[in-house]
Amino acid sequence: MTLALVGGTHRTVPLDLRERLAFSAEQVTEALNRFRDRFPGREGVLLSTCNRVEFYAAGAEAAPPAEQIVSFLAECRGIDAGLLTPVLAREQDEAVVRHLFGVASGLDSMVLGEPQILAQVKQAWALAQESRTSGPLTGGMFQAALRTAKRVATETALGRERTSIPSVAVADFASGVFERFDDKRILLVGAGKMAAETLRYLREAGGRDVTIVNRTASRAVELAARLAARPGDFTALEAELAAADLVVSTTGSTEPIVSSDLFARVEARRDGRPLVVLDLAVPRDFDPRIGDRPGVWLYCVDDLAAACEANRKSRQRELPAALAIVDEETRRFMGDLHHRATTPVIEQLRAGWSETGDAELERLFRRLPGLGDAERAEIRQAFERYAAKLLHPPLASLRDESRAGPPHGLLDALRRLFDLKD
Amino acid sequence: MTAFLSGISVVCFVASYAVALACEASRLVFRSGVRGAVMVAFAAAGLLAHTLFLGWRAVNEAAMPLSSPYDWYLLAAWMLAAGYLYLTVANPRTPVGLFVLPVVLALIGAAQVSSRAAFPQSPATQVWGAIHGSFNLAASVAVALGAIAGLMWLIQAGRLARKQAPLAGFRMPSLERLAAVTARTPSIAAWTAAAGFVSGIVLNAVNHRRGLMETVPWTDPVVLRMGALVAWLVVADALAAAARRRPDGPRTGARLALVSLAALTLSILWGLLAPTKHGQPPVAPAGHEAAP
Repeated sequence: MTLALVGGTHRTVPLDLRERLAFSAEQVTEALNRFRDRFPGREGVLLSTCNRVEFYAAGAEAAPPAEQIVSFLAECRGIDAGLLTPVLAREQDEAVVRHLFGVASGLDSMVLGEPQILAQVKQAWALAQESRTSGPLTGGMFQAALRTAKRVATETALGRERTSIPSVAVADFASGVFERFDDKRILLVGAGKMAAETLRYLREAGGRDVTIVNRTASRAVELAARLAARPGDFTALEAELAAADLVVSTTGSTEPIVSSDLFARVEARRDGRPLVVLDLAVPRDFDPRIGDRPGVWLYCVDDLAAACEANRKSRQRELPAALAIVDEETRRFMGDLHHRATTPVIEQLRAGWSETGDAELERLFRRLPGLGDAERAEIRQAFERYAAKLLHPPLASLRDESRAGPPHGLLDALRRLFDLKD
Repeated sequence: MTAFLSGISVVCFVASYAVALACEASRLVFRSGVRGAVMVAFAAAGLLAHTLFLGWRAVNEAAMPLSSPYDWYLLAAWMLAAGYLYLTVANPRTPVGLFVLPVVLALIGAAQVSSRAAFPQSPATQVWGAIHGSFNLAASVAVALGAIAGLMWLIQAGRLARKQAPLAGFRMPSLERLAAVTARTPSIAAWTAAAGFVSGIVLNAVNHRRGLMETVPWTDPVVLRMGALVAWLVVADALAAAARRRPDGPRTGARLALVSLAALTLSILWGLLAPTKHGQPPVAPAGHEAAP
């Protein structure tokens, strides 16, 4: 039994080549069907995300050679194999398992501990199952990978702290001020890139009442329609600010659009209600002095980026614990895999002993014709128990030996001692 | 069973609460998958022992929960401990115990140095005594809860002002939620404390008429400290209400709640240290036996 991996990630494959190598879900299915025809009896799972393309292969006897997998991938995507050969990594057996467990747990991701990869790993395995290229080896490996990822997620804080600016803005800061968002008025000023993503997190947190204002009114209307929000009037910004509880500002203005003086007028109309301002524009849309006013919680991109960095460091501190889990699960899986390789020998041994036992029993029953069914059953059970007890020590030794690697020596000894055929 | 119940002592629930507090404090140091369960188990065990202890005293020692200063403090601690257990189960990621359990332990500590002698009672004074004790208890719990919420508000606001991400395992409730508590408790504390004070005056009059207890003069430390506390709580409520519609209202409310707790603590210390005629049986005139 061998496992093989051929693949490249954002670390090893340049972006332009990675874009050409990437597979859509349909292309994955198509590639797996080709793999099944090209390498009958072998198993294969193709994981393709924006940051990685990895082919996991396995075979009861041997996995396809790595170079053939490289050529296969190149052929599927119409790329010269010579371009892929130097950038695609190749792994075998235990290294494949360790790598997949790390990938599923987010340890190999661009953002350490990001959870989306787990869904992508699940999807890759599901596509392989649909294409009937996943068998007992890759199936067991992917199942164990999902279990490992779950352990890493629950036993460490690796994925707990957020690391993207919009998610940190909402989960760590806005949620620190407000208990709920369904009764809050959210104002999006500008139509910057991060507005939509921040709004997505606010919606997840319950935000419903959203107004979008933009210097170009048509852009506000268009964005409001896309984000299921209400378009507002940019010229009435002062009134909108007075009514808002949370402001996300992402304009492309080169000067602050909300000065300290303007805010003083807004503040007088706010009735003392707290205001959270997520100023995600560069340059900033809000005069930073506004943040010194009581009841105003103003965060700019740098503030949020610093919190993201602190969270990233916090994730790094969890890395050793996560790696220990991956290591433990890898050893357990490899032990099971090696033990599985001993199955044919064990079955032969059991069959041989059972055959001999049955023959002896038949001889005994012929010599003792007066035995009733109950006595015969008792004697048969005694024989079976005896055989099981005799077999237990060698089987236990095989299992123990499997934890350290394939038990070739013991298997060979068993074959020779009990005259078992390959 | 009787031997088991009579064997429950203050040490049993103090130790349980202390372990729960240590578990809460360990959130700041390391992560653990089983800590939450251990914490709740110890807090629940402590609360159970606390309940059984109060129940045993009520049934077998005729010491009802409000019948002596000792039992009064233990009941106040029990109410806060029950609140802590509920909040911890409802919000497992919030370190409520770090703030509530020290107050619980302090109240149990105050119980240990306070008088265990039951207030002399008649049917009339029993009703007024219960009203007086209940209002004072409600006021004290409201002050403690307000101060705990106020302290948490200031810590959370400090973190948000410093623009720091929350510590892992140390996620505080939102400012909105904490401010809602600090906004309600001043009124509750002021009204219940005032009601407790007035019912105390009525109780004193009833006692005086029946000669059941020593009459408490207006200059008695208990009257002075409770009067001062009620006055402060009324002022604090008015100040908090005035600040409510200002942007810095929640901060003002949080600070006032902490000052109220300091005032309550001083009042308790004053009560523990100063000589008083509060709750004392009447002194028999020379040559006479005290009235039965």
